[in-house]
Amino acid sequence: MKRNLFPAILLGGILLTSCSNDDDNNPIDQQVNAPATYSFERGGESTVDFNGQTTRLLMGGALSGALTDPTETAASLKAMYAHEAGVENFENPDLNTSNKNLKSKTAASADFYASNTADQFDVRADFDTWIDAQASEVFPRWNAAASPGTAGQIADGSSTRYVSGQGLEYNQVFVKGLIGAVMTDQALNNYLSTTVLDEAGNITDNDAGITAEGKNYTNMEHKWDEAYGYVFGLNADPANPNNDLGADSFLNKYLGRVEGDSDFAGISADIFEAFKLGRAAIVAGNYEVRDVQAEIIREKISEIVGIRSVYYLIQAKAILEQPQPAYGTVFHDLSEAYGFIYSLQFTRKPGTMEPYFSRTEVQAMLDDLMDDGANGLWNVQPQTLQDMAENIAARFDFTVTEAGS
Amino acid sequence: MIRRPMKRIIPSLILLVTIWACSSDSAGEPQVDPQPEPVSFERSEMLENWADNIILPSYQDFSTRLNTMNTIYIDFKSNPSEEQLQKLRDAWLDAYLGWQAVAMFEIGPAETVGYRLAMNTYPTDANTLEEYLASGSYDLSLPANRDVKGFPALDYLINGLATSDSQIVARYQGADQQAHFEYIDAVIQDMLSLTTQVIQGWEGGFRDAFVANDGASATASTDRMVNDFIFYYEKHLRAGKMGIPLGVFTGSKAPQTLEAYYRTTVGKELFLAATVAVQDFFNGKHYGKSAFGKSLASYLQDLNTLKDGAALDEIINEQLDLAMEQVNALGDFRTEIENNDPPRAMLLAYDEVQRVVPLFKVDMVSAMSISVDFVDADGD
Repeated sequence: MKRNLFPAILLGGILLTSCSNDDDNNPIDQQVNAPATYSFERGGESTVDFNGQTTRLLMGGALSGALTDPTETAASLKAMYAHEAGVENFENPDLNTSNKNLKSKTAASADFYASNTADQFDVRADFDTWIDAQASEVFPRWNAAASPGTAGQIADGSSTRYVSGQGLEYNQVFVKGLIGAVMTDQALNNYLSTTVLDEAGNITDNDAGITAEGKNYTNMEHKWDEAYGYVFGLNADPANPNNDLGADSFLNKYLGRVEGDSDFAGISADIFEAFKLGRAAIVAGNYEVRDVQAEIIREKISEIVGIRSVYYLIQAKAILEQPQPAYGTVFHDLSEAYGFIYSLQFTRKPGTMEPYFSRTEVQAMLDDLMDDGANGLWNVQPQTLQDMAENIAARFDFTVTEAGS
Repeated sequence: MIRRPMKRIIPSLILLVTIWACSSDSAGEPQVDPQPEPVSFERSEMLENWADNIILPSYQDFSTRLNTMNTIYIDFKSNPSEEQLQKLRDAWLDAYLGWQAVAMFEIGPAETVGYRLAMNTYPTDANTLEEYLASGSYDLSLPANRDVKGFPALDYLINGLATSDSQIVARYQGADQQAHFEYIDAVIQDMLSLTTQVIQGWEGGFRDAFVANDGASATASTDRMVNDFIFYYEKHLRAGKMGIPLGVFTGSKAPQTLEAYYRTTVGKELFLAATVAVQDFFNGKHYGKSAFGKSLASYLQDLNTLKDGAALDEIINEQLDLAMEQVNALGDFRTEIENNDPPRAMLLAYDEVQRVVPLFKVDMVSAMSISVDFVDADGD
């Protein structure tokens, strides 16, 4: 049972009452006005802070680069992934002194993993396994040509791709996997979760404007900002971030790509607006409006992962159907697809505690992708890709055609 | 599911404030009073039961065990043999198990002296401890020395000094005998002295103040005790004894951070003793007896707190039982962690231990209108 009190205050003594959180045209929305930009202040000072997310995005960028540097080792890459304060894993000295890392935030959301540590370990082990495979299979064959069953380089137009004997680019799998396991999971299933937003005295403190110790923000404001930071933490103007989408190699980049597809134009504005309104709702103490925005963000961010999964499958299928398929391009697309499909297990169906696809379902799809023949992607059939794309699109509110082009 | 009166104050100009409350499952029925229905439960009776039948008897029993350990240690000093070492280990374990029944009560005199961290900060810093043994110069009362004293330091000194018992005993027979005994003397005296201070604090006034502070506010005894109790469960029992060694928070296993690391077989036993103590406290069970008094469980019963149609106190007990059952089925913690990658069985047991946290921290405190005063610091 949930009881809510809304002291509604209107000029002139108008009386406004409202109830029920499943009201379709909820008049409460009108009580919260979002500012034009993601700028919030208390006492003339900004209350917005997501430096931890910015740090992790930078670490992810550095790790992404290191994964294609054959002078690195499995140990050095894993140390970067599980960075400890003071260890010189990065060129950027600020990252070296930071006590943050990516591994501890991998599959670490309150909603999905707090009491699901076995899966959490399995996910983290997947990332370690991809690092090991990159170092042991691909690095030794860096200056040799790939062929079915043998790792090495392969041309993708003017680019060179470095693939396993199965045609997989582990660096792509790793980076696209992080989009789900860190950025999406942390944002949707941790920081936008009522478990986290409303933890302990967060509501009382936020209502009373009591800020976190030594900070200018309330705990609840900060949690919301941390979700925002995983999407917009590297944009040049974080208060108005949609002008330079693609500021990172993670969610921001693919939000930009999806925005660029005319079928989905407007998605970046939708996400930004929802973040802005939700944050304004926190300032106004209106948690109904806040939670509606959280659900919008969950749906839209999950869509990015779904759309890109389908997009790469369909792109690869089109090339594969040509007389002389450019395998390098196919492998690159499907390596991206592999990572995005992997990331589906961290998405969040609005109004539920569930992802769009479970870990088991994701693993079954990835097995399907790799098992058309003995040499993985060298043997993959167009129909496999089409079936998989349809299977994914069926759970979302978009079609294969919309996402695939 | 959650009863949480939410008040919002929207600052404004002039204005007429009208309050209208609704319930999502009784749509349209206004409920003007946001407070829980009055119940007959008297917090003062629960506080009395806690103080007189649980907390003080637990401390007294622990004190007895600690003194027994000291007596046996004195025997060991006069005859540092392998046989006496074994007796000392048994007494150490007996006291350590007794400690598990009091570790959650970090309130009042215990809080004042920083009892829990002074008695049981682990892992112990073996390097610093060895330096102190060599130099003979140390002050165990300093806060920075919390990790070279208490039960974990004793664990190292009687179980971890060397790989074989004969080598350990040799250190108590050779040229450094005196330095070693002096160090253990200092550790045990520190533990005895702190324990005496805590018991005297309770008997010398805190008990009455604790029971008298029977209101419902952030500084009332019930609210504070419940916060301390949940904090202990979450940070010390769940995270300290299992989560941190498992690497749940970092992604890297850390078996060296286990409680009683040098006596690998007992970590699980200590965990179970601590969890039994938590459950007994929750149920108001008189320490060392079969009787029950007013408790958090009976409070929930009086409030008629349901979760998904079932009594919350029963759900909590069942979850604690399940957690203990799963932990009990494990091998010793160190072996589970070191020999399995990932340590799946222990992780699954940890998940059951974790599932109690929201039952306490969200459902129980909501029913009792108690504010949780700490947050998971794992932000950013």
